[in-house]
Amino acid sequence: MDTSSPSAFVNGSLMRRYIGQKVRTVVQVIGSDVGSVVGKSTDDLQIFVKGSPPTTPTTYLEVIGIAESENSIRAEVKTNFGNNFDPLNYNELCKLANGEFKHFFI
Amino acid sequence: MGEILTGGVIEMLRKETVKNQEHMKPILQVTEMKKFTSHQEPSNERIRVLLSDGTAFIQGMLGVALNPLVNDGLLQTGSILRLDRFLCSDIQNKKIVVVTEVEVITTKADIIGNHVRARKASDQSGGESSNKSNATSGFEQHGRSDVTSTGGRQVNNTEIGTSYVGQQRPQLYGSGSGSSFEQSARSDLSGGHQINTGTSHAAIPPQQRPQVYGSGSSFEQNGRSGSNQINTGTSHAAIPPQQRQQVYGSGSSVAGSAPSARSYSNPPTTYPPQRQQQPPMYQNRGPVARNEAPPRIIPINALNPYSGRWTIKARVTSKGDLRRYNNPRGDGKVFSFDLLDADGGEIRAACFNAVADQFFEQIVVGNLYLISRGSLRPAQKKYNHLPNDYEITLNNESTIEQCYEEDAAIPKNLYNFRSIGDIESMETDSIIDVIGIVSSISPTVSIMRKTGTETQKRSLQLKDMSGRSVEVTMWGNLCNAEGQQLQSLCDSGEFPVLTVKGARISEFNGKAVSTIGSSQLFVEPDLVEAQKLKEWFAREGRSAPFISISRELTGGGRVDVRKTISQIKDEKLGTSEKPDWITVNATIIYMKVDNFYYTACPLMNGDRQCNKKVTDNGDGTWRCEKCDKCVDECDYRYILQLQLQDHTGLTWVTAFQEAGEEIMGMPAKDLYYVKHEHMDEEKFEGIIRKVAFTKYLFKLKVKEETYGDEPTVKATVVKVEKINYGSDTRTVLEAIDKLRTENASSDAGNSGIGTSGTRDPSSSLERNQADQYENQGQYMGGSYRGSGSYGGGLPRQHVGGY
Repeated sequence: MDTSSPSAFVNGSLMRRYIGQKVRTVVQVIGSDVGSVVGKSTDDLQIFVKGSPPTTPTTYLEVIGIAESENSIRAEVKTNFGNNFDPLNYNELCKLANGEFKHFFI
Repeated sequence: MGEILTGGVIEMLRKETVKNQEHMKPILQVTEMKKFTSHQEPSNERIRVLLSDGTAFIQGMLGVALNPLVNDGLLQTGSILRLDRFLCSDIQNKKIVVVTEVEVITTKADIIGNHVRARKASDQSGGESSNKSNATSGFEQHGRSDVTSTGGRQVNNTEIGTSYVGQQRPQLYGSGSGSSFEQSARSDLSGGHQINTGTSHAAIPPQQRPQVYGSGSSFEQNGRSGSNQINTGTSHAAIPPQQRQQVYGSGSSVAGSAPSARSYSNPPTTYPPQRQQQPPMYQNRGPVARNEAPPRIIPINALNPYSGRWTIKARVTSKGDLRRYNNPRGDGKVFSFDLLDADGGEIRAACFNAVADQFFEQIVVGNLYLISRGSLRPAQKKYNHLPNDYEITLNNESTIEQCYEEDAAIPKNLYNFRSIGDIESMETDSIIDVIGIVSSISPTVSIMRKTGTETQKRSLQLKDMSGRSVEVTMWGNLCNAEGQQLQSLCDSGEFPVLTVKGARISEFNGKAVSTIGSSQLFVEPDLVEAQKLKEWFAREGRSAPFISISRELTGGGRVDVRKTISQIKDEKLGTSEKPDWITVNATIIYMKVDNFYYTACPLMNGDRQCNKKVTDNGDGTWRCEKCDKCVDECDYRYILQLQLQDHTGLTWVTAFQEAGEEIMGMPAKDLYYVKHEHMDEEKFEGIIRKVAFTKYLFKLKVKEETYGDEPTVKATVVKVEKINYGSDTRTVLEAIDKLRTENASSDAGNSGIGTSGTRDPSSSLERNQADQYENQGQYMGGSYRGSGSYGGGLPRQHVGGY
């Protein structure tokens, strides 16, 4: 596994902590444009994903990239997470990974 | 002379219109007097008196300051006093006048009031002595038995005979004002005259022992040998000498048995004044005056072993059978019944032997009774599930009288319904009441008990507004009576309401409700809750889905107890009497290929296949020992030995047909054919390989079994389920939360996810776990990232094996 550039698990509200750093998050795709995707984070905030949209539209998209601001990411890797995804669980994960169990992660 | 006394004041004292000298200073006469020494102040003698206003009586106590008056003879029985300082208070539910200052108006006087006539009728000496003697009898006991043998008089609360001292025992009973005389026992008085105030006359020849009782007062007395008791009221003299007659206050429902040595006492105090006619037992006696005194009923919840003479008014909510028993002390019979009063108090009453005979016929469920004088003892919680610390034992002195007047304040039954949803979390073996709609009922089956006796059993499904349904099992008689009724209702398409009172929660495939000996079932009861249930059911209950807290046998149900593999050993699961049912989230690491099936008997045994292993006869037929038959074709059923692993450990489990099919993806027969008939090794191996490293949610039954000398814990797969990551994650999150709260209290620095001894603390492992969370739902196109279980060091092969 390539652990050279670890990315922090974030949801919408946690992104501001990592501005300029590599993050990963899962968003529910609301709309897409040329060059960007608008998504809803697992805690119901709006996230802009810069970078070409994936070839096939899906409901959930995982994005790994640099957080440019508190609500936008410049995507490096986009992964299709399919349609069956539990945002609540992911949200809990983000909270745990940045809170109590931060030492387990980055 | 009667005008001197302040008539009617006793009534006012009782009603609390007059409480002390501020209100008025009544003039009363002492009709009885008794000295005693209280155990609290042994140095001081205290004097109790019975005060009369000419018609009514009340108990009083003289303050110590007044003792000299008595000792000097200035204040004696018959004295007329003006109460200059007094206080009327309620002591143990009785009104007592504590007198601290008096003015003795007349020292010696004849007793005013009804007493007079009675006295004249009897012999004078009797009269006087009876006055005095009454001193004791007149007093209400505050929980003490009045055994005083002053001057040869005995007043007993207990069985006769013991206190019988044979001679003249005149006893004067308080009259019609009833309330002040809660007397107990008048034991037999041979030839004694008992004269009650009131209009009774005494012309009773001393030999006879008739008993006349004051009207209305429920003198349920049983024959007493030899006491002439004349009650107030109009009973009089011309009482023919009937031995052991018992005259009962009207309406008394006590059986007229007159065993000779019974002492009875109890002019029970209550009487709803509707006894117009003579009580049936009242033979050849004249009419009796009615005792209009208000009843002194105490609430059931106030009963305790120190209550002394008490009376309760209650409804019988259940009646047990007359049971015979045999114990080292001998044979006997007993029956008990439960009572409920207007305050919601409940208590059980039991009668033994002769008392049982006496009252058994009398007690009818649903009727109201006035019951007095029994003994109280701590309740046997094992058999008695009523919410009372005590239970009543009725004895010879107890009296039971039916109240014909309905009392709407006393409900027919008191329920403490729990919703079915609550049952799930309640303790097994606790006793509850429940109400619900019967959605289905099965016919009665006969079950052979371990003791060898056969009994009936019937089960039904009960639903209520909590959205849960529970299995209710009834035993014995209930199957036939209410069970049948319910069955016919259900068969005709109805969904009747059923209340169950006093049933036990049992743990048997989840939680279920089971009736016990004292349970009661009511079909379509007339209760508010029943109405509500019916409405709800019609509205939504009918079609709503129900979660059953009593799983059926085949489901092997238990509430989903999630464990990790290491916990099986750590917590010694399966080693207790019953098997443990758990769920684990694990991966199949290895499967033994040698014996993945067995040859099974295909014959049907009822509605189930026999499935017992058949032996090869050698000629192509197979023999089943159980069915005792031979078959040409046997069935092939899975018996897979699998090794499971999760992040905590490894274990072996056995999976049978249903689980096997799910895991292998094909019926056992097909696999058998692949291997043995078609001899297709490659295909076979391919199939086996695919199974490895598949992860499922396994429901296991864990039980310790002894093979030879060694006990081993064996696990059987009851059910195999594909993992739903969403719900699985949620379970883990809950576990995390739980752990967090535990940590908060215990300050142990546990590292969160996947507790119980994670042995591989490497960061990559955690990474795996984190990834686990991410990869929910479908793993498409490489999002999988090569992890997938909590296990440490999994070989690469499993990737994509999902």
